[in-house]
Amino acid sequence: MKGRLNASLVSGAVLVGLVVAMALVSFVWTPHDPVLVDAGNKLHGPGDGYLLGADKFGRDTFSQLMVGARTTLYVGIVAVGIAALIGTPLGVIAGMTRWRWLSELVMRANDLVFAFPALLLAVMLGAVYGAGTLTAMIAIGVATVPAFARVARAATMQVMVTDYILAARAAGRRRLPVAFRHVLPNIGSMLIVQASVSFAIAILAEAALSFLGFGTRPPTPSWGRMLQESQELLFSTPRLALWPGLAIALAVLGFNLLGDGLRDYLDPKLRRIRAER
Amino acid sequence: MRRIGTWIAAGGLLLSIAACGGGGGSETAGGEQQAPQAQTLSVGFVAEPANLDFTSTEGAAIPQALLVNVYEGLVKLDQDGKIVPLLAEKWEVSDDLKTYTFTLRPDVKFTNGAAFTADDVVFSFERLKSDWKLKITSQLDVVEKVEKKDDATAVVTLSKPSNSFLYTIATRLGAMFSRTGVSDLANTPVGTGPYKLGEWRRGDHIRLDSNDGYWGTKPQIGSVTLKYFKDATAMNNALLTGGIDVISAVQAPESLQQFADPNRFETIEGTTNGEVVLSMNNGRPPFDDKKVRQAVRHAIDHRALLDTAWAGRGQLIGSMVPPTDPWYEDRTGDYPYDVAKAKELLGGKTYDVKMRIPNLPYAVASAQVVKSQLAQVGINAEIEPLEFPARWLDSVFTKADYDLSIINHVEPRDIRIFADKSYYFRYDNPEFGKLLAAADEGTEQEQTDNYKAAAKLLSEDAAADFLFGFPNLIVAKKGVTGLPKNAISESFDFTGLAKQ
Repeated sequence: MKGRLNASLVSGAVLVGLVVAMALVSFVWTPHDPVLVDAGNKLHGPGDGYLLGADKFGRDTFSQLMVGARTTLYVGIVAVGIAALIGTPLGVIAGMTRWRWLSELVMRANDLVFAFPALLLAVMLGAVYGAGTLTAMIAIGVATVPAFARVARAATMQVMVTDYILAARAAGRRRLPVAFRHVLPNIGSMLIVQASVSFAIAILAEAALSFLGFGTRPPTPSWGRMLQESQELLFSTPRLALWPGLAIALAVLGFNLLGDGLRDYLDPKLRRIRAER
Repeated sequence: MRRIGTWIAAGGLLLSIAACGGGGGSETAGGEQQAPQAQTLSVGFVAEPANLDFTSTEGAAIPQALLVNVYEGLVKLDQDGKIVPLLAEKWEVSDDLKTYTFTLRPDVKFTNGAAFTADDVVFSFERLKSDWKLKITSQLDVVEKVEKKDDATAVVTLSKPSNSFLYTIATRLGAMFSRTGVSDLANTPVGTGPYKLGEWRRGDHIRLDSNDGYWGTKPQIGSVTLKYFKDATAMNNALLTGGIDVISAVQAPESLQQFADPNRFETIEGTTNGEVVLSMNNGRPPFDDKKVRQAVRHAIDHRALLDTAWAGRGQLIGSMVPPTDPWYEDRTGDYPYDVAKAKELLGGKTYDVKMRIPNLPYAVASAQVVKSQLAQVGINAEIEPLEFPARWLDSVFTKADYDLSIINHVEPRDIRIFADKSYYFRYDNPEFGKLLAAADEGTEQEQTDNYKAAAKLLSEDAAADFLFGFPNLIVAKKGVTGLPKNAISESFDFTGLAKQ
């Protein structure tokens, strides 16, 4: 046990857990077929087997939300995975290298990518290779690489001056083993926090892209597209926009709180401060 | 980072609400009751003209504003799609159907003061070849020569009989220009119409003022403002707040619910020339097989599709003919919704196909219904929205790299596109081409009969599936009358407008 549970961590974990649970359950069961068009149930009100009502195609909103959670998590995991797998090694290399120019090169290249908005990148990729979940995931992932590289580099530079690293280096260990056995485990907590925050941003980016028609392809449910489809019904049937909007907001909030809570939970310095109080 | 993230989270919730912000009103409303001639009216549009010269610039917005209102042709289309006299009082067609003798209305003046005579008719037809920069001028290649007999009589000779000639000169191609008024068409249109250009504030509005020297009945509304909006929601809001009197075309049918109050607004639903077509690639498997295409037509419940995808607005057509064409026949009975029949035609086989659609609202909505309905008979259609126009035009329209697609074919009388076997439908039936050729060269009755036969052949061949006729949806403040119900010509006709 490294630290104490805190409110952010618990509430974040509960919200994220809810999204994960919805996504997992949707694999085996949804109240209705989320993509089956049923003109007879067009704009069916809540209740009567339709917990949150149905949209203009007669599709059950709750079933769509459940499967939409799957899309959301899928995009988040892959995008953050891409970012972590590319960004972390880059950051660690930049932080450990003897050659200042290499570190500079990596970080300036990072700045270059950082200057490029993720949405713009996704829209561009979508226009060239066809819009879809895959291009959205890649674009969001690539755009998140610099965030990971920066955190990894800063953290690596911190641990590089600690006694245990100096000892390992003095004992003649080569850089690669040092990176794996000492650096990575010690910067891991920071990366986990970063992953959680990036996850929230990825969810939002996917929703925005789907809203604009550059994300998940119809009819696969996606929270962003549910919002977009409900736009014209905003005045007559506001609940259609409310539920996906709420889902996006809560999921993003959940991952942000989780990241926040994890940082407090895992960060030894903050823990010490708390202990002294 | 965390703070920002949380704020963005709240933003996610507001994403949809943001879309209905903006808009704002304008100050062009009419004010109190005034003398009839000074009445004003403002109409909202979404696309602003790039300039005012439809002889050199493409785009529907220019003729929409100017044709019939500012420029007039020898004939025009009325609301039922019939050709009626305008600047020509009457015309006679020779027995060989190749010579048209137009008797011109006397006392017609252009807004620059010049009188309209047969010389202007000759001049306007000659400009098609010398000055127009649009490809569509080829539609009048059939015109061999245009001569002046006397000031009030012009004679047009065609190289072969053509029933589409009169129809074509009811479009912008037949607009009459003054010999002394074409120096600055992009900014200063000179026509014979009931209105003349009053003011054009780029990016905001065009004001048309009534033409005091007009030869015909003067319009009741003295000044019409065409107000241009960047997006549909802003236009809707402008009507709700009284900034405009009329929405020329509602972009999303579901938004009509905002205007449901019959004491304040009136919704007018008419037809357009648009047919929303489920295109099937006749040139490659599986849709090169007529049975598979027929199965698709049986598998789609068109009424349910229209009700869900487009709020029930529009008309089921069954073939490539809008209800306002003289040869329209209801062909929806050819392939009634019948899942069992569709399955039988497929013979138990299943197919995986690509449905590559433009990323336009009606297409994305219709595609989801089509996919769901085709899935029930064993056709799995993967929807791929392509950016419109560039990407869709390139891969679907030009290269025909698709199995299914959905697009609204808006051109008038466009059934003829099926006669071109290189067109993206890749439909190839020589019989169809023969019917069309016979239609254009025969008498009026033969034209109607042959077009009817052609529409029937298309439907029976299941060359495509015809989802619905695109509706024309106008919303106006209560009391505004004389709005053109059907959008079947290139212009938005203001001449009959009135306000109580």
